[in-house]
Amino acid sequence: MSQFNSGLTLFLSLIVEAIPFLLLGVLVSSILLLFVDEQRLIALMPKHPLLGALSGGLLGFLFPVCECGNVPVARRLLMQGVPVPVAIGFLLAAPTINPVVIWATWTAFRDQPEIVVLRVVFSLAIATIVGWVFSIQTDFRPFLQPMIARWIPELAVNPSATPALLQSGTFLLGQPGQPIAFDTAAVAALNRPKKIDIPWRDRLPLLLENMVQELRELGGVLVLGSLIAAIIQVAVPRDWILSVGQGPVTSVVAMLILGGVISICSTVDSFFALSFASTFTSGALLAFLVFGPMFDLKSLGLLLTIFRTRAIFYLVSLVMLLTLIFCLFVNLHIS
Amino acid sequence: MNQQPTIQRHWARLPEWLNTFALGLWGALFLFYWRSGKLGLLIHPNYFVLTIIAGFVLLAIAILSLIKMIRQKTGWQEQHQSLLPPMFTSGLLLSAAILGLLIAPKPFNSDTAIQRGLQDATVATRMRPQAFRVNQSSERRSLIDWVRTLDVYPEPDAYAGQKVSTDGFVAYTSNLPDQYFTLTRFVITCCAADAYPVGLPVKLTQSRTAFTADRWFNIKGHMVTETLNGKRQLVIQASSIQPISEPQNPYSY
Repeated sequence: MSQFNSGLTLFLSLIVEAIPFLLLGVLVSSILLLFVDEQRLIALMPKHPLLGALSGGLLGFLFPVCECGNVPVARRLLMQGVPVPVAIGFLLAAPTINPVVIWATWTAFRDQPEIVVLRVVFSLAIATIVGWVFSIQTDFRPFLQPMIARWIPELAVNPSATPALLQSGTFLLGQPGQPIAFDTAAVAALNRPKKIDIPWRDRLPLLLENMVQELRELGGVLVLGSLIAAIIQVAVPRDWILSVGQGPVTSVVAMLILGGVISICSTVDSFFALSFASTFTSGALLAFLVFGPMFDLKSLGLLLTIFRTRAIFYLVSLVMLLTLIFCLFVNLHIS
Repeated sequence: MNQQPTIQRHWARLPEWLNTFALGLWGALFLFYWRSGKLGLLIHPNYFVLTIIAGFVLLAIAILSLIKMIRQKTGWQEQHQSLLPPMFTSGLLLSAAILGLLIAPKPFNSDTAIQRGLQDATVATRMRPQAFRVNQSSERRSLIDWVRTLDVYPEPDAYAGQKVSTDGFVAYTSNLPDQYFTLTRFVITCCAADAYPVGLPVKLTQSRTAFTADRWFNIKGHMVTETLNGKRQLVIQASSIQPISEPQNPYSY
């Protein structure tokens, strides 16, 4: 009975502490969806793959979305012609590198500030490295689902080298500058829907609708996650948790797996990790906080709407290995 | 035009109704915890204001979306690719809120303190002391002040003979003889999920069975050094033990 009571207190405390942050995250992501035009930002992105990946990661500061919001945004970015390193950098880092998540992590780990700092540094480093690695693939379309690949322009045959008149195909004339090749990507570029066209009066109800739906989805996962955390805390014997959680390697591996299975939203995952703070190594907590937002079971379904299986496999293995290396380094050399 | 029969149409909207109701209930639950003083059992007072605002916002969202649903005849467009079916997530949110309303959260007790490592030698406070007040009168130190002071300067003899007056609840730790119990409190930095126990052994003149586990007491006495389990440590030699009621907010910070 006493175990049930402390489990219930733990469960409720996780939810009560997390919901204000979830609410804030959902509010910001809904506002962005309806009020911000990404097109203008895209024009500012650097062309260099490494800088592109880094700036893609930092885009999270302007688009604070958690991992459930970042996949649709990354997909939109790709379809709007953003370079691949930028999109990948954004996809991996945006759930962590944003003000709401950093605030929530700070709230949870006030007395271990190194966790907050290293979470940000590791996430940004991994996102940049992976984005850069993926930039080696010059034609990215085979990695993408056909639906998305259609929107990516075919690898440019250096248009200035061959005059438009000597290329085959259908062209749009009467535009300023070069004639535009009439392929799918170009047509798409001309016909991209402008979401800012929605009248102001209709935006607020849409905002509300979007918030309620996201709250349901993310709140549901939060309840499940808190339940699992509470059960692990009260039902699994402490000796057992300690023996896994104190090993420099086992603890990181255990938390990587937990981070991949528990699809808790990145705005609130630090509270989940907090319940393991006294029993697990710092490296393990970081592994959960860095890997969880980049990949979990929930985001797998979403990632499949952009990438083909092979690309997801590369992406996830790279992220997982880098997280493992960084977090083992923390356990073995820092703490 | 919607060709579906009315009943079927209403069933299709059930997750929306459930969800709206669940969000409203969560808002109400947050405000209820605040008004009934239960919020302190769950989270650190620094974050009360966030929870209270969230409670009002959730209620407002629920009311607005209720109005919208009544006005709007057709169901909402699903804008998200959900992993879990809407019915399931709405049901989950609703059941958790109902559970919270029906069963009041209770403060952690001595079993939890022991389960969370009260008797492990490794448990020390995680908070690094911001200031070390040497001149503070020893009788005004709370339990957590004592433990923090010991963290900074662990030699027990330095405190021998100092007067003590402090509150906490009783835990029977198995590594102490029958004439001792551990006066315990939980410390939280964010929410109950990170609560960890701190405690000091109290030496009695009789068997500890006279003091029920989990009951709160004010202990007056002085500090002595004893060797327990082969380890020299600071022990409170109790001269008076007064039962007190459990504080409204049982945690230390």
